[in-house]
Amino acid sequence: MSLLEISNLTLDLPGGARLLHGVSLAVGAGETVGLVGESGSGKSLTARAVIGLAPDRAALGGRIELDGRSVIGASGRDILALRRDSAAMIFQDPRSGINPMRTIGDHMTETLRLCEGLSAAAATARAVELLSAVRLPRPEEHLRQYPHEFSGGMLQRVMIAGALSGSPRLLVCDEPTTALDVTTQAEIVRVLADQRDARGMGMLFITHDLNLAASICDRVVVMRAGRIEEEGPALRVFTRPSADYTARLVATTPTLGPGSGSGSGADERPADVPASDAPRSGGRASALALTASGLSKTYHRHGKPPVRAVVEASFDLEAGAALAVVGESGSGKSTLARMIVGLEPTDGGELAIAGRDRATIPRGRRERLARARSVQMVFQDPYLSLDPRITAGRAIEDALRLHSDLDRASATSRAVDLLEQVGLTAAHAEARPRTLSGGQRQRVAIARALAIEPDVLVLDEATSALDVSVQAQVLDLIARLRRERGLTVLFISHDLAVVRRVCEEVLVMRAGEIVERGGTVRLLEAPSHPYTRLLIDSVPRPRQADAQPAGATVA
Amino acid sequence: MTIPTTPPPAAGAPRPAPGRVGPATLAVQVLRSPRARRPDAVLVVAAGALAVMTLAAVFAPFVAPYPPDAIDLLAVNAPPSAAHWLGTDGLGRDLLSRLVYGARTALLGPLLVVIGSTVIGMLLGLIAGWRGGWIDAVLGRVFDVLFAFPSLLLAIMAVALFGKGLVAPVIAMSIAYAPFVARLTRSLVKAEVSRPYVSAYRVQGFGGAWIAFRRVLPNVTPIVGAQSTLNFGYVLAELAGLSFLGLGVQPPTPDWGAMINEAQSGILAGAFLPALVPAIAVVIAVVAVNILGDELSDRIGGGIPA
Repeated sequence: MSLLEISNLTLDLPGGARLLHGVSLAVGAGETVGLVGESGSGKSLTARAVIGLAPDRAALGGRIELDGRSVIGASGRDILALRRDSAAMIFQDPRSGINPMRTIGDHMTETLRLCEGLSAAAATARAVELLSAVRLPRPEEHLRQYPHEFSGGMLQRVMIAGALSGSPRLLVCDEPTTALDVTTQAEIVRVLADQRDARGMGMLFITHDLNLAASICDRVVVMRAGRIEEEGPALRVFTRPSADYTARLVATTPTLGPGSGSGSGADERPADVPASDAPRSGGRASALALTASGLSKTYHRHGKPPVRAVVEASFDLEAGAALAVVGESGSGKSTLARMIVGLEPTDGGELAIAGRDRATIPRGRRERLARARSVQMVFQDPYLSLDPRITAGRAIEDALRLHSDLDRASATSRAVDLLEQVGLTAAHAEARPRTLSGGQRQRVAIARALAIEPDVLVLDEATSALDVSVQAQVLDLIARLRRERGLTVLFISHDLAVVRRVCEEVLVMRAGEIVERGGTVRLLEAPSHPYTRLLIDSVPRPRQADAQPAGATVA
Repeated sequence: MTIPTTPPPAAGAPRPAPGRVGPATLAVQVLRSPRARRPDAVLVVAAGALAVMTLAAVFAPFVAPYPPDAIDLLAVNAPPSAAHWLGTDGLGRDLLSRLVYGARTALLGPLLVVIGSTVIGMLLGLIAGWRGGWIDAVLGRVFDVLFAFPSLLLAIMAVALFGKGLVAPVIAMSIAYAPFVARLTRSLVKAEVSRPYVSAYRVQGFGGAWIAFRRVLPNVTPIVGAQSTLNFGYVLAELAGLSFLGLGVQPPTPDWGAMINEAQSGILAGAFLPALVPAIAVVIAVVAVNILGDELSDRIGGGIPA
């Protein structure tokens, strides 16, 4: 008898839409089951239904049995009992799940005192025990601290400790590490695995990251559009997927290993510099598209020590090349990007793009336009970087007409040309951003940047808000544009695996400083700086990592 | 296994989107929003009442049975009858006719004030929110000072300076109501400025003024506009009050506030209708406008309180 058994679960909204179509899965004690899928696949809905968090007014069908008790149709009191004794959940963003006005101690002891009826002293003792179990360094001290004093990773550990306070038999984890840096993710996963083994807990682990699922889960359930596509042992699903969808998902998931994870065969080796340089006359890579030397930025804060966001960054970028800037949050990579595109003034150092000095924020119309033609940027979140009121075609037209004296009609036809170049159609020109999907929006943002024909294109985490299969398409698009247009790309990312597919050179940043620079292949295989090594080692990979890499089997 | 580079079939062609958002398309969007499927009765009644008043004001000469200043000396303070549906006032003028003509000034004044305060307020709010820094601080203090003056007091001061009538109070109240609009605009603009699409425009080389006026302002207009309509009711009541004090629209022009004023002596004589009828009209108009304004700002602005 499994700890959790879901059979034939359906979920209907009052409007008549069916979001889950007969989902069945089981989690045994001490077992970790991964629930994997892209956004809208119903993975979170399924997991939430387990602890009675289905959307209001949604109609549930089928059966959910947790610890021998039925969840569907249970009374509020029974659900409460289930949540107290049988199952607990941790969420994606720890900061939004904790009361910022109360101390960590309040958060930890509240449940213990109210639900378990412990005395204040006993609850405190238990809280200290739990906090040390999740490897927080100074539990007694942490009890008196407030959430804002904690980093995201520490806070997620507090949330885990809180979830464990009721000694649940099942822990539901909804993308618990998605908001965290890769090194932090590795620590959280280790804590979760430790606790699972120590307590014999069952774990239902929801993630969009196949590598992560394969690294922690025993079995994986792949969902798409409210249905289960495939189920099986994690490594088997990852290496020999039986469903087409899973195979595609595995193929599009970027990995660190060589020769795998590339969506289209043509881009197998991004390190082919000559290929991307071919269309350029002469092919000599001597022309520098961008040179930065000693670029610095310090933020001064009231009553706090100043933050040195970027410290003496010096690098150059050859025309037609693609350079990645990799680092965790707070490494200064975004500040660097903003200085390069002229959104942020530099504190010192020199910056030249295509031979012209671009260290200052442009003033006046001529300077602005010249600056815009020297560098363009594609932003992280295409949901926010497009004006909600302006249609896709119009956004591109505006850019075109600002930088040339095209009339309305020729700007419109040129905009459609550009949309077609990024894989959209003329029909999309009339669409407002809200009617487009994330991938389509990012294509529009890329077309808009290309309209200005910049010397350098900065991509600031341009694919990190997208689903993996969409991300693969956008990465392919970028690779194609580089081949066709000889585009010079500066690719800002936190994801080494993604970088591997786009750039032939990588720059690693940490706390505002560039710690290492090198060819992507060399850097991934033989990192020379310990921080680079740590970054690479933190990237999740399937257990028994020496097994045949996924892509090889698939391709 | 390879992934096609073309967009997935599921992502097909987008829904056709209408052209640029003008007032008309905006109205269509509002009326088609989900909650419009079953408009509740109160809303229908409010909209109906306002529609009737507006039509009456516009077509007053055709609607009113008598000219507003026609005196019937045989019927002074007459009760309702077939000839005078609502009776007559102390000078023997037909109340219904005066009510219909009075709707003109009663609705025109607040309309002008709403337009005036919205234009002034949005402009100042945009400047404050967009530029920030000392301009924001100075404008913020100016708004604080203006908030300290009751708008009726400002209107009375304006009348004292520039004379009685509709013009002076309308200008004064436009200024008095502008800070409400400006504060809302400022906070919306501030939120908008921090969004990446504004940075994207900057990176493309667009100038600050262009982004502010051509892109940010239109994006905040629906919410600010909806909030501004809520002021209509308050202004209507205040302008009626001003007329009642004898400082607004001057006799013999019919106006609801002035009608109440003129009917004061009649109340003692037992003729309460001449005062009651315009008073009820004011109440109905204010309530109807507020109901509509609430609904409008709920639908557009997600219910930001005024």
